[in-house]
Amino acid sequence: MSFRQKLLLLFAATVLLCVAVMSASVYSTIRRSFEQADQVRAQAVAAQFQSEFQRRGSEVARKVESVAASEAVQRIALDMNRGATDAGEYVGDAHTLAGQQQLDFLELVDSRGVILSSAQWQAKFGYPEAALPEGRLSEAKTPADVGMAGSFLKREELPNGATLGLFAVRVARVGEQPLYVIGGERLDQGFLSTLDIPAGTRVLLYQNLAAEWNPKTLLDLNGPAAGADKIAPLVAHARDTLQESQGVINWTSDSADAEVFHAIPLTGPNLNSASLNSATPISPNRQLLGVLLVGSSRRPLIELQRRILSTAMLVGGMGILAAVLASLWFAARVTRPVVSLAEAARRVAAGDLGAKVDVESSDELGELAASFNRMTEDLAQQKDRTLQSERVAAWRELARRLAHELKNPLFPLQVTVENLMRAKQKSPEMFEEVFHEGTATLLAEIDNLKTIVGRFSEFSKMPQPQRRPTHVNDVVRSVLRVFQAQLQEKNHIAVRTELADPLPEISADSDLLHRALQNLVLNAIDAMPQGGELTIRTAAIAHGVEVSVADTGSGLTPEECERLFTPYYTTKQHGTGLGLAIVQSVVSDHGGKISVASTPEKGTTFRIELPCDFSAHSASLR
Amino acid sequence: MRRIAYLFLAAISLLGASGSRATAATRPHYGGTLRVMMQSAPDALTLPANATPADYWDLARTLSLVGDTLVSLDAQGRPQPTLAVAWQSDPSTRRWQLTLRRGVKFHDGSAASPAAVAQILGALHPAWNVRASADAISIETEPATPSLLAELALPRNLILKRNTNGIPIGTGLFLVADWQPAKLLKLAANEDSWEGRPFVDAVEIEFGKSLHDQAIALELDKTDLIEAAPQAATAPQGHGASSSLSLPVELLALVFSTNSKAQDPRVREALALAIDRKPIQSVLLKGAGEPAASILPNWMTGYSAVFSAQANLPRARVLLADLRQPALNTSYRLSYDPRDPQAQLIAERIALNAREVGIAVQVSLSGAEDIRLMRVVLPSPDPATSLGEAARQLGLPQSESSTPRSNSVDDLYQAERGLLAGYAVIPLFHLPVASAAGARVRGWTPGPLATWSDAGSPLSGIWLETRAEAGTR
Repeated sequence: MSFRQKLLLLFAATVLLCVAVMSASVYSTIRRSFEQADQVRAQAVAAQFQSEFQRRGSEVARKVESVAASEAVQRIALDMNRGATDAGEYVGDAHTLAGQQQLDFLELVDSRGVILSSAQWQAKFGYPEAALPEGRLSEAKTPADVGMAGSFLKREELPNGATLGLFAVRVARVGEQPLYVIGGERLDQGFLSTLDIPAGTRVLLYQNLAAEWNPKTLLDLNGPAAGADKIAPLVAHARDTLQESQGVINWTSDSADAEVFHAIPLTGPNLNSASLNSATPISPNRQLLGVLLVGSSRRPLIELQRRILSTAMLVGGMGILAAVLASLWFAARVTRPVVSLAEAARRVAAGDLGAKVDVESSDELGELAASFNRMTEDLAQQKDRTLQSERVAAWRELARRLAHELKNPLFPLQVTVENLMRAKQKSPEMFEEVFHEGTATLLAEIDNLKTIVGRFSEFSKMPQPQRRPTHVNDVVRSVLRVFQAQLQEKNHIAVRTELADPLPEISADSDLLHRALQNLVLNAIDAMPQGGELTIRTAAIAHGVEVSVADTGSGLTPEECERLFTPYYTTKQHGTGLGLAIVQSVVSDHGGKISVASTPEKGTTFRIELPCDFSAHSASLR
Repeated sequence: MRRIAYLFLAAISLLGASGSRATAATRPHYGGTLRVMMQSAPDALTLPANATPADYWDLARTLSLVGDTLVSLDAQGRPQPTLAVAWQSDPSTRRWQLTLRRGVKFHDGSAASPAAVAQILGALHPAWNVRASADAISIETEPATPSLLAELALPRNLILKRNTNGIPIGTGLFLVADWQPAKLLKLAANEDSWEGRPFVDAVEIEFGKSLHDQAIALELDKTDLIEAAPQAATAPQGHGASSSLSLPVELLALVFSTNSKAQDPRVREALALAIDRKPIQSVLLKGAGEPAASILPNWMTGYSAVFSAQANLPRARVLLADLRQPALNTSYRLSYDPRDPQAQLIAERIALNAREVGIAVQVSLSGAEDIRLMRVVLPSPDPATSLGEAARQLGLPQSESSTPRSNSVDDLYQAERGLLAGYAVIPLFHLPVASAAGARVRGWTPGPLATWSDAGSPLSGIWLETRAEAGTR
């Protein structure tokens, strides 16, 4: 990963982190605000419920008071005091009185707590009224005497099940024996509909009428509420703890449809305590009769959160984009000297020691660039000195080789001339014979000198290849034909050819190739004075052909392999050191490569790779 | 219901004020139309086999004005001659011969000959072999029918012909003058009745009137003879108004349907033991009726006290304690006849009693019923006949063990025990049937068996006080 990329990532991560932290902070703050608002709303609804409960309780109490003061009830109370025992006379009275006062429930109960008449369950006459505490009944003059001054929540049994009601008790006392009038109204969806519910809020009432959870008694404004089972755990918690609790109900997979519910337990009077006259339905340490559930939609919160999230993503995206641009600019500014340094280093590595870095800054990078420039200058000077040394060495080598090559023919020339001079002086009769022999020797050695000079001249005048379609296999066969006679004379060298067929044509100068291969074959023959095997292979390779010439001679050392293509270097006693240099020159002029692999005492293999079309390579070289 | 009773009492009070004085000042005379109101609204003047008690009594009373049975039974169950003046049977009681009254004619003028009677009776009882002779008919039955005379005294065996419109043509005191199904029946006095002409010229029966409407109509003097709730008839009477309360001739009972969820006899017995009949009788029935644990009332058998009608909650709880949980958690649906004004309250009271011992009973008119609160007619003073009829109406399977061989106490008791075994039916009350007559109605002597007359043909002795007579007082 480049420095620029790292810089980019760092910028992006920084921006993203900042946006995320900001969003999370806003998110959390809004969530807390909504939760506080929910809490306030729930408390407001609970307070309103309590207020409505008390108002309706007062209304019920007034109606019950009217019933207790009615002529019919006074007559019944009078009958009771006269000792009348025929309850059948009053069975339908409560129903009639309840209808007159629009009460849902009304019971007339005698001083023993026995029901004389029940509007809600007419057949209940003769049964004890559980709402009235045992004892103290016969002496009571007011509801307060039995601890039932106000209104209260009560579970009421009906023929087809139980329900919840808001009740009040009044006493009709004509004589000694009091007659209790217990009236009430249902606490159901009708009651809920009287509450002024804020928008986005709804109220459910769970009537806790059975020991087990019953979804049918969870009511909303329209009756049994849908999806009641999802609220069951919340109600169960309120039932178990008699404490307010809250929970989130997810109605669908969309979290915006969820609601936060506050469960508020509603309790009835504690018949064992003296505080029966409390009108509050929301009180701990009493029997749980219902649970008020105030639900607030989470849609506003979720939608706001979504808006924040989308805004954060937009801001984050824009921030990242800005970070990218900024980092690009900054990275470019910061990394330009580094890139220049890297480019200069690559040029130096490629051999261009004249590469310079243009850095104007005075910081660490500027100092680095100056150091680099000094280093390249030093390297260039070092190279010049090395080249100069090498040139001197080359000239020395050339001189040594020339001296060596020329010294050999010169010595016979000198001896021959001296023989001629000695024969002229000492035996003129043999001069003629010596002259002839001497001139022949002189001519032979002069030819030898010409050959040596010709080789050097030839190396210095290597022609440019004349390209045309060439079959490498044909060139190989042509070379082998040249050496056929020589190889037959030296029948201890076996020739093996492995020519690929078909082999693609290449664009090459067949004469130059012929000459290069000829040198390689000649080297191979020279490398096997004791005989061996000469192998020539051709093969198609990617975009070209390969030719290898292998011998089974004594092989070369690694040091010899390194210097093998150096002009005038030779491992042979009478070689000029130009053969392989010529081969490398030809291969190079064809855009190819030559390599050597050798194992001492095993043999040497030269491998030439030639492209089919070397023009491109040649162009690139130019 | 109390309102009806008050109205009824008020009506009796108003009418009685003048009626008592009139009795001594006037004598029976012919003329006038007797106005009658009834609850039922029959589409046809026939007595269906599955009639409700109200329909049964209304149609039986109506048809008995038009037709006669061969014999009738008095309150002691003794046969009295009607169309038949003499009868005898062989010792096996499989062959009976009844000598018919001579000179009796149907309303269409045709003679009520043995052949005509035999034809009508044979059509009513295809299993019987009914043959006519010169002045008698013979009836052969298989198996033996010791209670044949009681059977022949039932209203379903009235000797009635039908015209093409289905209008009954009988030999009774009145003949059908106009028939508007479910609304009105006008009867005219039969001048040629073998019992002699009735005092009133006509009878107009308005159908489909509730007890409440009937009580108001009687109070406003818009009718002369009405049905009444038994509890209203038990109220103190005076001022010349007359009311009648029969012997208990109906049974109010709980019947378990064949596919009831309460198949365990222990649940049924527990329910029977949970029901406190006294408060129901004293409060809801206003003292009318008798708590019952037997099918037949005590006045028929004399042994009904053997069947305890007392509630026993501890015993019921012990029975339920042995049950498995599913039986205890089951809610049983109790239905009732919605036309019976007392039925709903009684059913709810029973549900309340049942709840006390832990049996969940829900009173409902919808859905498949497990238990039915039903009222059945005990139509005959003959115990064996009433027992068989009650068992039929209650849907109880009748086996040899549950069919009394005679009217002996032992046979009846064993038969009744057989019917009550397994608590397929829980008897609750034996109820009387009540009627009331306005102050201008004179000579009304209702019988103890819910008939409109204690002897002879119904309404034969009734005459009406005229307005002029009333005005002279």
